[in-house]
Amino acid sequence: MDYLFAPDRWEWLFMGNSFRFLIDGLLVNIELALIAMALSLAVGLLLALARTAKKPMIKGPAGIWIDVWRNLPLIFILLYLSLSIPGSWKESYQDSVPSWFPEAFQNGRILAAIVGLTLYNSAVIAEIMRAGIQSLERGQGEAAAALGLPYWKSMRLIILPQGLRRMVPATVSQLITLNKDTTLISILSIQEVMRHGRILGSCLPFTCGVEVPLLQVFLVVGAMFALLNYGLSRLSKRLEIKQREATGIEVEKVTGLEDQVRLETDTK
Amino acid sequence: MGEFWEVLRQHLPEFLSGFFITCRLVAISFVIAVVVGTIIAAFRVAPVKWLQRIGGIYVETFRNIPLLVLIFIFYFGFPETLNIGPWLAGTMALGLYTAAYIAETLRSGVFAVGKGQIDAALSLGLTYRETLQKIILPQSFRTVIPPLGNLIIAMIKNSAIIGASALAIPDLLKSGRIVAAQTAQTLASFFWAALGYLILTITATLVVRSLEKRLAIRR
Repeated sequence: MDYLFAPDRWEWLFMGNSFRFLIDGLLVNIELALIAMALSLAVGLLLALARTAKKPMIKGPAGIWIDVWRNLPLIFILLYLSLSIPGSWKESYQDSVPSWFPEAFQNGRILAAIVGLTLYNSAVIAEIMRAGIQSLERGQGEAAAALGLPYWKSMRLIILPQGLRRMVPATVSQLITLNKDTTLISILSIQEVMRHGRILGSCLPFTCGVEVPLLQVFLVVGAMFALLNYGLSRLSKRLEIKQREATGIEVEKVTGLEDQVRLETDTK
Repeated sequence: MGEFWEVLRQHLPEFLSGFFITCRLVAISFVIAVVVGTIIAAFRVAPVKWLQRIGGIYVETFRNIPLLVLIFIFYFGFPETLNIGPWLAGTMALGLYTAAYIAETLRSGVFAVGKGQIDAALSLGLTYRETLQKIILPQSFRTVIPPLGNLIIAMIKNSAIIGASALAIPDLLKSGRIVAAQTAQTLASFFWAALGYLILTITATLVVRSLEKRLAIRR
C-alpha cells in the first residue's frame, strides 16, 4: 500500500508542469479522435450506402472491404501503414498542413495514424449506419419509390434522416472506443499522452528533484481517460433510452466490438 | 505474386508459432476474464449495497481506461521484487479489461429473465436454488452467448496490442513484423499475418452468428 500511496511517490504531480504536460498529451489524443471520427463519418456513410445498394457489383466488394478492415486489429493496421506509407506522401502532408494545427499534427508521422484510424473506424461506422438504415420499415423505402422519388432523393429525404438518427447512440459509444484507441499511436512515436507519460517517467530524481514512478504516472493517465469516457458512456446510454422511447425499435448492435456490447448491456 | 508464396514458404514456422501464441494469449485472458467477470457480476447483483458499489466502480474503471494504459500499469507498475513477466502482465491486463464487459453481460443476462417468472417459480414452491438452476440460468445462458462471442472477437483483436507494446511477446503481429524486417517484404509478411487474424475473427463471427440463430428465444 505504501508503494501505491506514499506521498513522495505522488509529489511529481504537483511539481512544475508535470500535470500540464500530461493534459497537453491528452489533448492530442482527443483532437485525433475527433478528426478521425469526422473523416470516418464521411467515409462510413459512403461505405454504408454501397453496402445497402441493390446492385451486387457494388454491394459485394463493399461488404468484403468493410469486413476485412473491421476484423483486423487496429494496431496491425497502424503498424503496417507506418511502414508502407511513402515518404513523399508524408512530405506533401507536411507541406499542406495548416500552420494553426497543433504541433503533433505538423509531423508527417501522424498521417499513418489518421489514415489507419479512419480505415478501421469508417468500416465500423459503416456497419453501425447499415444497421440503422436497415432498422427502418421496408414501407418507408417503398413509399418513397411509389411517390416517384429517385434513389438519391429518397435516401436524402426519407431514409437517411430517420436511419442515421437511430445510430447516434452507437456512434457516441464508438467514440469511446476511438478515444481509447488513440493511445495506440504512441507506437508510431507520435507525441501524445502515453509518450508524455513515458518521458515524465524517465525523469531521474537527479534532474527533476523528485522521483516519478511510472505506476503513478499511468494511474493518472488512466484516471483522465476514465473520467472522459465515463461522461461519454452516460451520454450514449441516455441517447439510446431516449431514442428507443421515441421509435420503440431496437437497432441491432454491431458485432465484435466491446463498446457496442457495452451499449447493449447498459440499457437493459 | 511469387514473393508472396516465397515469404510464406520460408517463414511458415514463424507465422504458425505467432498464430498459436495469439490463440494462447486469448485463451488465457479469456479464462481470467470469465472468472473475474463472474465474481464482479455476482457483486453487481448481490443484495448488499457496498458490494454492488465495488462492482460498479470496477466495471466503470476498467471499461473506460485504454487497454494500453492497463498494460503499462501492470508491466511497469509492480515492484521489481514481484518480477511480473510479460505474459502475466499482458494476460492480466487483457483479462481484467474484458472482465468488466463480461460482468455487465452476465448481469444483464440475469436481469433479462422476467421477474414474473421468478415469482411464479417461487410461488410454485421451488427453492431459491432450484429457481436459479432451473429457471434463471438456462435462460440467461442463452441471452449471454452472443455478446460473449462478440467479446472474444474483440479480445482477438485486442491481443495484438499486448505483442506490440513494450512486452514483446512474439504473437502473430510481432512475427509478421520480424519477418517483414528480415525479408524486406512488408506487404507480403503483413498480408499473411492479416490472414491469420482474419481466420480467427471471421471464424468467431460465423460461430457467434449461428449460435445466435440456434439459441434465439422467441419471447
